[in-house]
Amino acid sequence: MSEPGASRNGVGPSVGELVERFELEKAWLVDPISGREGPGEIVVVDGILESVNWLEGAEADGVTDKGVVVAPGFFDLHAHFREPGFEDAETVASGSSAAAHGGYTSVALMPNTQPALDEPGALERIRLASRASGSPVEILAFGAVSANRAGETLSAMGELADAGVLGYSDDGAPVRTGKLMRSALLYAGMLGLPIVEHAEDLEFTSGAEAHEGYVASIMGLAGWPSAAEVNAVSRDLAVLADAIKDEPRARLHITHVSTAEALDLVRRAKAAGLPVTCDVTPHHLALTDEWIAGARRWAWDALNQDGTSRDPWADSALTAGPYNTSLRVNPPLSTPVDAAACLAALLDGTASAVVTDHAPHTVVDKEVEFGKAANGISGIETALGVLLELVDAGKLPLVRAIAALTTGPASVVAGWPARTATAAARARGLVEGASADLVVFDRTDRWKVTEESLRSKGKNSPLLGRELPGRVLLTIAAGRLAYQDAEADDAE
Amino acid sequence: MTDRQIMTGDEIRRAIVRISHEIVEKQAGTQGLALVGIQRRGVPLAQRVADAIAEHEGILLPVGALDITFYRDDLSLVAEQPMVKGTDLPFDLNGVTVVVVDDVLYTGRTVRAAMDALIDFGRPRAIRLAVLIDRGHRELPIRADHVGKNVPTSREEIVHVHVAEIDGSDEVTISRQIRTTEAAEAADR
Amino acid sequence: MTTATTPAATWRHRHLIDVDVLTWPEFELIMRVSEEMKGILARPIRKVPALNGRRVTTLFYEASTRTRVSFEAAARNLSADVVSVSTATSSVTKGESLVDTVRTLEALGAEILVMRHAVSGAPYLAAEIFSGHVLNGGDGWHAHPTQALLDLYTMREKLGHDLRGKKVAIVGDILHSRVARSNIWSLTAAGADLWLCGPATLLRGMDRWAVAWSGGAIPGHGRFNVTSDVNAAVKDADVVMGLRIQRERMQGGLLPSLREYAARFGLTAERVALTKPGAIVMHPGPMNEGVEIAPDVAVSGRSVILDQVANGVAVRMALLYLLAGGHEATHVETVR
Repeated sequence: MSEPGASRNGVGPSVGELVERFELEKAWLVDPISGREGPGEIVVVDGILESVNWLEGAEADGVTDKGVVVAPGFFDLHAHFREPGFEDAETVASGSSAAAHGGYTSVALMPNTQPALDEPGALERIRLASRASGSPVEILAFGAVSANRAGETLSAMGELADAGVLGYSDDGAPVRTGKLMRSALLYAGMLGLPIVEHAEDLEFTSGAEAHEGYVASIMGLAGWPSAAEVNAVSRDLAVLADAIKDEPRARLHITHVSTAEALDLVRRAKAAGLPVTCDVTPHHLALTDEWIAGARRWAWDALNQDGTSRDPWADSALTAGPYNTSLRVNPPLSTPVDAAACLAALLDGTASAVVTDHAPHTVVDKEVEFGKAANGISGIETALGVLLELVDAGKLPLVRAIAALTTGPASVVAGWPARTATAAARARGLVEGASADLVVFDRTDRWKVTEESLRSKGKNSPLLGRELPGRVLLTIAAGRLAYQDAEADDAE
Repeated sequence: MTDRQIMTGDEIRRAIVRISHEIVEKQAGTQGLALVGIQRRGVPLAQRVADAIAEHEGILLPVGALDITFYRDDLSLVAEQPMVKGTDLPFDLNGVTVVVVDDVLYTGRTVRAAMDALIDFGRPRAIRLAVLIDRGHRELPIRADHVGKNVPTSREEIVHVHVAEIDGSDEVTISRQIRTTEAAEAADR
Repeated sequence: MTTATTPAATWRHRHLIDVDVLTWPEFELIMRVSEEMKGILARPIRKVPALNGRRVTTLFYEASTRTRVSFEAAARNLSADVVSVSTATSSVTKGESLVDTVRTLEALGAEILVMRHAVSGAPYLAAEIFSGHVLNGGDGWHAHPTQALLDLYTMREKLGHDLRGKKVAIVGDILHSRVARSNIWSLTAAGADLWLCGPATLLRGMDRWAVAWSGGAIPGHGRFNVTSDVNAAVKDADVVMGLRIQRERMQGGLLPSLREYAARFGLTAERVALTKPGAIVMHPGPMNEGVEIAPDVAVSGRSVILDQVANGVAVRMALLYLLAGGHEATHVETVR
């Protein structure tokens, strides 16, 4: 693999600079638009993906999907970069750097900043921060549903739409009442934009610490029942069914769904033709509540043949200390059965995308007692690795994993009336002649997740100390260098 | 590792008989005397001394058992020997001459702990010490009033006292194996 | 299930945060050492120099006079120096974090930290950053190991050392009880026939736990029973233990009233009469007399509540002794 730009002037470009020339031979290409994967070569010239050459026959010999892989840059539909207001935890600059390290070239930010993103000036601040960072990672944003996310009145939705938000969410919290949700769906629908809902029934979750189940019972943790998510999703679907009668352009996207029952509600709603989509996170696919007790095995390794959850105490699977606060997240880590349901939803299309819900926190907010710890996992850099673990375990084909990070989120956005044929909805594939937007990673080159290797300010990852597959070697966003691995070798 | 026998069963028996006579001689009788054996092997030895005294004086002295686990000056031994063996002093110590009985006298720390323990139970008139083996290397100013046998040893050696009540046979041996743990040293006292 | 075993030869734990890590030989070791400690309490001078010069610091985030005094007495009986920090009057009220508090106490010479905290899991966080020994005096709803151990000691003292098959009924607010959780671990290890009883709202999740254990999946811990039928729970029981009902449970919509609880679940003389002859009545204290336990039952001949208090000092002495005496080399890799 030649260093981007090296052939021109002997010095690689720095982050943000146009990639003048980059060639990659004998790599495994994955194009989720066509669903095609196989040996190939690419050439990038002056920021354009000039050539995508699929290899056949003898030329393809020796190139497998276990080596260097090229895919379209990933699109995260849900992340928190904490700026403005919580810059100790993350900034647009550090978040963009983390995103690029994770292979992401577009990130949609949630509005729970301080002040909340409830009027256009706030969006402008974020855009300025992005430009100042010098990172070419595309920063998009959701506006708040309610003014100041207080759940009382609608935010300046029209002005936010004019300023270019992707949609609206009160994430961090649900839209407070069904009545407000209905107004929001109608108004946003009129503007052609969706409501992205964090589905949580707050009555159930006040004081709750962990998924209500066997693990929480033993560990004396206040239970967070599945009903909290199921109730909220039920409410939202009922309100959506009502809203589309008056405004057929109303759209609902439910983010980070974590329980089997809620996923099933979405499945049935979609089958009935309701304009709803949803996503799942890597941590709900791969981690479970038994990690809080000290287990460190992947969700699919904690399942019996008959699909029931295994008992970590019985299995002597508790290898780490309990009550690790990097595991406290909203919605909480659930059972292996629920994790399997998230995977099934991804496979059958109920869940259209994987989002990271990247939630960085400072040490001060996490190095406390479990019940006092802030919710959230810093996950934008480990999403690819986690999905590749699923691929390695035979649970998910590689091309589907890549699709979940690229065409999946793009299709969700394309389904929003205002978004069709706009930049954010662009199909993400390996398209000759398009601006280069891609990620190169080495499937079997493992990297260790440590406080040093994470670019995010948020070191609250439960995977610290663990090695993940799929070291990212290069990320190019909109033709410019977004990330380059410092030890990138020549790969043939 | 070579085990050298330094006392046979018969030699032990004769030593105990001699010690029992010495104890009575020093006290000029059996009045006001009591025997307290230090756990573990001092206990059966104390009982044997009491039996010997009963045989030639016709009086059975009170015999107690003392566990000095909680009086040791080195708590790090707890992990290896946490099991306490029990203290049983079924008589009033006040004004009594207590003869402490132990199998081996070494650094003297066990006897110091035993004295602290006894004084917590009451105010003996006097405390005396009878041991089967004195192997030298005292670290505290403690001496035995009655000794079965003086055995000069080096610090690398270990003295093993076997008593029938616990070990199935009576003998005393020495081995040359180097053991570095303090537990081993304390076991030899 | 238990078999007659010899007590563990060595003590391997640097901390004691929960009884879930103990094997049955380790339980027996603690019982044996507690018995010796109880012997010390019967002496004219109720003190031994075993922990002479060692610093025991109690750090209580929840107000609790009886437990804290019990730990202090235990430490003093071993000649340890005791420092007590009650967070109501410390810098914690100024917002000092647990991590900072523990680091400060360590710098001030704390060697054994006895902690009580309102949030489950807090002692594990302390253990991660503290170079000495952590002894859990109760954390949130999760564990109260010294209580379970003194309860076990008291039952063995009154009913004989073999508790296999003995029926133990624990009645009260099981859901929020660290005493219940720790007793589940210790009593199933002892082979007792354990029954947990309370109103359905205060038993939530416990049946799921009992079912998970019913197949004998956890070595050494068997199934226990969960019921809201108090008569079935106490019938022919060898031990009846009441747990405190807190007023907050009404505000939380979990109980209609304390009066209703007392009527339906309270340990009255009539209910206690259903137990076996010679059965004992226990309570970890403090009691709400007239709610979970009738005043006459609390002072009856069957009540061993005061024995529990006395035994508590002995058991805590045993644990301080075992923790303080451990070798670095023999310690089980910690934070469990």
